[in-house]
Amino acid sequence: MGLYLDSRLQFLRSVQNPDGGWGYFPGKASWLEPTTYALLALHTKGSDPAWERAWKLVRSWQNPDGSFRPGSEVKDGTWVTAHAVTLAGIQDIDDPDNRRAVDWLLGVVGAEHNIWTRTGSFLHLIKARLDVSHEGWPWRPGNATWIEPTAHTLVALKKVPARYRASEVASRIRDGEDLILSRRCTDGGWNYGTPNMLYYDLPSYPETTALALLGIQGRSEREYPGALDLAEKFRSETKSSLGRAWLQIALRTHARQPAPPGETAWAATDILLASLEALGHPEGNYKLFCAAGKS
Amino acid sequence: MTRRKFALLSGAAVVGGYAGVKLQKPPKPEKLSDGPAGQSAVAIIRARSYSDDLAGRMLEGIRQCGLDVRGKSILLKPNLVEFDPATVINTNANVIAAAVDVFHQLGAAEVKIGEGPGHRRDTFDMADDARYRATIPKFESIFTDLNRDDVSPIKNFGGESEFYFPNTVLGADWIVSLAKMKTHHWAGATLSMKNFFGVVPGSVYGWPKNKLHYYGIPESIVALNRQFGPKSFAIVDGVVGMEGNGPIQGTPKPVGVLVMGRDLVAVDSTCCRIMGIDPEKVSYLRMAADLGHVHQSRIEQRGETIASVHTNFALIDDFKDLRLV
Repeated sequence: MGLYLDSRLQFLRSVQNPDGGWGYFPGKASWLEPTTYALLALHTKGSDPAWERAWKLVRSWQNPDGSFRPGSEVKDGTWVTAHAVTLAGIQDIDDPDNRRAVDWLLGVVGAEHNIWTRTGSFLHLIKARLDVSHEGWPWRPGNATWIEPTAHTLVALKKVPARYRASEVASRIRDGEDLILSRRCTDGGWNYGTPNMLYYDLPSYPETTALALLGIQGRSEREYPGALDLAEKFRSETKSSLGRAWLQIALRTHARQPAPPGETAWAATDILLASLEALGHPEGNYKLFCAAGKS
Repeated sequence: MTRRKFALLSGAAVVGGYAGVKLQKPPKPEKLSDGPAGQSAVAIIRARSYSDDLAGRMLEGIRQCGLDVRGKSILLKPNLVEFDPATVINTNANVIAAAVDVFHQLGAAEVKIGEGPGHRRDTFDMADDARYRATIPKFESIFTDLNRDDVSPIKNFGGESEFYFPNTVLGADWIVSLAKMKTHHWAGATLSMKNFFGVVPGSVYGWPKNKLHYYGIPESIVALNRQFGPKSFAIVDGVVGMEGNGPIQGTPKPVGVLVMGRDLVAVDSTCCRIMGIDPEKVSYLRMAADLGHVHQSRIEQRGETIASVHTNFALIDDFKDLRLV
């Protein structure tokens, strides 16, 4: 293992909180999102006490309705429920708690998927070029659909054991993918949620293009021509470390082979970024984002 | 409801998830509130370029407004939105560096910087791109990404029984809104009050913070200012603002001013008048008129006069009717 990957994994091991989780930054409270990515980055086959402690903490954040809280301080369930389902999926866990989380995800839709907005769209009253026929997923229940939570949920649902609510899971996956495909920007990538607003075309972004590509894994490239090339271009040009890390992961899951990063040691404090950079390395665990990615 | 209004609200529902709740909100007040008793001081200070003595200018303005921060902890809240060093989307790094210097000079016990960008998650790289790290001494040790800070709940905010804010924000004695003078395609203008959107944590509410759109953009601006306004001071970077399709896709607009004050409603109303926008027609300012002063007669203008720095900002078609006559 080279310096790049090793230094990031060592950093992650060194900043695990006593409660088993990871904060966004060292010494900060544990949150589900950085805990998920740190766990994915550090994941190895076989038993791992660090993983067990973290997984126990993650499970403690589940609400009675099946959703997961983003951290100890917050009561409401959010998009991070998808992360918990992903973590369960790679461990092949199919228990009632995970099924409740899946039920919750299947019950959540973007709020714009309502009669008023669809009627407005039909009558061309909406000042945006947008297909509102798909459900997708919001950051929080009751909010509109966005690319990122939709992509995370698609990754999660593709790991749900096939025997559980199979047709509904498949239907929501197909519709979620269709939503992502429908929201492609004119430049060929994706931004946070809409390709057009007030009739202005909006540009795509590196990180959301990467996430969208993760979400639509398995769909034919003919449905999104040029998007992977754009992702390659973004990867070489973006100033965003986070965007570059997500693009490394997304491109590898689409069987592209971006050039490996230079052997630079980790020298920052952002735990989420360290995790994603480790995941996107050629020897990293990026395959865990694939539908078949398991322990 | 007119077809135009329905179209606007429906569009917002899609991109910002706005209309469904918006239609259930009580109607906006017909008569503009007179606001609190007394008058509010707002200083308009000339700063023709970012290489001017901004700290000296800022100190002059703050003293004219009578702010005492001795022994207090200060959180500077810039407007950091997007990677784009070529335009004027973000609060200029020199303005922030000057503010750090000035509040130390004024005797603050601690000066921090915090921001939680609305849609981009890569706060530190954006700060680098905006030259914050290169320009602001010890930036790394005084900056907090508010999107990913630890949080605590407050009761009954934004239509929710509990709403979460970053501990860095809740713990500050004073928050200084270091906003940019820009037009905004939903709110009309984005100034010191709208800048508070950046204190809502993405880790809880997402990127963008769609909850605020659902609660209503003007309603959220007012709620945030009702919460944090009492411990806030505004310094608006109008050295070069943004006109047209702001807050991201507009074009630079040199104005050459810093606008400051303790009453953020009065500061934003003054900025609007400088920009050729009638503040009495801006929804969030109408709704905030009980928090501070919108009426020009209730604002004690210090430093430059509005007339001496006034320059009409280009407005998109949907906001042409905001033009100050």
